Amino acid sequence: MANQLSCCNGIEISFDPHHALTTLKKVEGSLQAFPYRSVGELVRFENVGLRYGVGAETLTDVSFSIEPQSFQFLTGASGTGKTTLLRLIMQALKPTRGTVVLFGQDTSLLEKDGLTALRRRMGIVFQDFRLLDHLTTYENVALPLKVQGRDEVTYRAEVTELLNWVGLGELIHAKPPILSGGEKQRASIARALVAQPELLLADEPTGNVDPSLARRLLRLFVEMNRSGTAILIATHDLGLMDQIDGARRLVLADRRLYVEASDV
Amino acid sequence: MSEKRPLRYGMFGAMMRSIPLFGRDPLVAADQVTDRALVAVIAILTFLAALTASAAQLTAATAMRWQVMMASEVTVQLKPQAGRSIDADIVRASDILRGTGGITSVKVLSREESAKLLEPWLGSASSIESLPIPRLITVQIDTRQPPDLTSVGKMLSDAVPGASLDDHRTWTKRLGHLSDLFLTASFGALLLVVMTTGLTIVFATRGAMAGNREIIEVLHFIGADDRYIAGQFQSHFAVLGVRGGLLGGGAALLLALTLKFSMMFPDGLPFSGISEMPILDWQTVFVTFGVIMLVGIVAGLASRITVYRTIGMLA
Repeated sequence: MANQLSCCNGIEISFDPHHALTTLKKVEGSLQAFPYRSVGELVRFENVGLRYGVGAETLTDVSFSIEPQSFQFLTGASGTGKTTLLRLIMQALKPTRGTVVLFGQDTSLLEKDGLTALRRRMGIVFQDFRLLDHLTTYENVALPLKVQGRDEVTYRAEVTELLNWVGLGELIHAKPPILSGGEKQRASIARALVAQPELLLADEPTGNVDPSLARRLLRLFVEMNRSGTAILIATHDLGLMDQIDGARRLVLADRRLYVEASDV
Repeated sequence: MSEKRPLRYGMFGAMMRSIPLFGRDPLVAADQVTDRALVAVIAILTFLAALTASAAQLTAATAMRWQVMMASEVTVQLKPQAGRSIDADIVRASDILRGTGGITSVKVLSREESAKLLEPWLGSASSIESLPIPRLITVQIDTRQPPDLTSVGKMLSDAVPGASLDDHRTWTKRLGHLSDLFLTASFGALLLVVMTTGLTIVFATRGAMAGNREIIEVLHFIGADDRYIAGQFQSHFAVLGVRGGLLGGGAALLLALTLKFSMMFPDGLPFSGISEMPILDWQTVFVTFGVIMLVGIVAGLASRITVYRTIGMLA
């Protein structure tokens, strides 16, 4: 898989910590996840269970953690709870039992303001994009910075450059209804990346695109990971996972989560 | 390249965008049909509220003017007494009044003028000449240093039998009471209109929140707090409120202007009395703009409160 990708020009992304301005340069090389450095867990699940209503648990005794700057896939057959697990992490769902700790904070003790602060440290790529149809691509991508109260002058160049990077430079004024599935996906990824989150959650980010674009999108995630963002990609595409060396695999089956060891 | 184009608008656009009514960057998706209907409803309510407020202000101002006029004048009435010359009594009463401090002018109404005042009740027949018609003296008072009317009245009745002083107090009180009653009713009507506007906005906000549920969810996930989201709805509905308010208030001012000109020149001559009423003076304009601002504020606040109360359920 590395050979297949090494024939293509990789893209390296780096961030200026002071200006948060994205700069890009092309480099040769294969895709490899950033080696783990255990600085403190971003996410920790302890015996988490989730039940809808009075039926059986959808997820049972889920325990895992996500380290800073790590790269992992969440996989499993359709209907095994990948999206549900992501929704638990993004706090769209509350667990029926167990403990969810995000960025060192027990989420069961979180107030609403605290939850907002945690969400600002995450980037989310939705399976169905969730772009706002009445806003332009530029406005959609800039939204996470706008809701933080930043003045447009401070992020205009940054957003434009990110849009160029994901190949939407010509479509900054276009609105989502006229974008193709791949373009929407890239806009959605750009929106998740623009605030430089510590953790990126992506739900089937390559599900609506052709294999070539899927590789290109995957490369975006790898470069983000190299710049310091922990990545969790939910996918059932085994071929996609094979393209990343050193990525950990979290496998959902029979309502339980199995963690495969990393190669690195 | 597209990035070389201005990202948003030019200088004019930026300037217009700084004005809330013209340049917004809405996160609440505008629903053209609902928004227009809402603006129309608010315009009608504001029109009614502005008319009510203007009528109240007009009534208060006119009543006040009449009260001042009545308070600056008193009337002395002399009833004919058997065995006394009423003309001599008039001279005597006039002398007493002219010699009293705080009185600026004394005018004796002639017998003909007094009879003319009674025409509506007694008619203009020549028989009126034979009736013992009371005579009147109108007295202008210096309102800054008014005389003690009680002692003046006593002095007159002591010196001239049948003389009495009417300071119009009863009428002034009745006029004041009537004016207060009208003002209270107008204030109540205004309050009802404002409450109706608020309730309309509450329902519209709930509808908009249901329609924008997905947007609200996305905003939450990308790090927007409730305050930010409520601010977006507040801004959206406050702008709609002010737009509707301007339309309704403008229509009310236009109506007042039409009324003013139609009353001043119905046939080329001004109506006496009515044309002196302060229709569409600066106070009317001030009151109308006050109503428009009030509608905008109520719309924004009603929307914000509704968002705070509803957002938890949506989340």
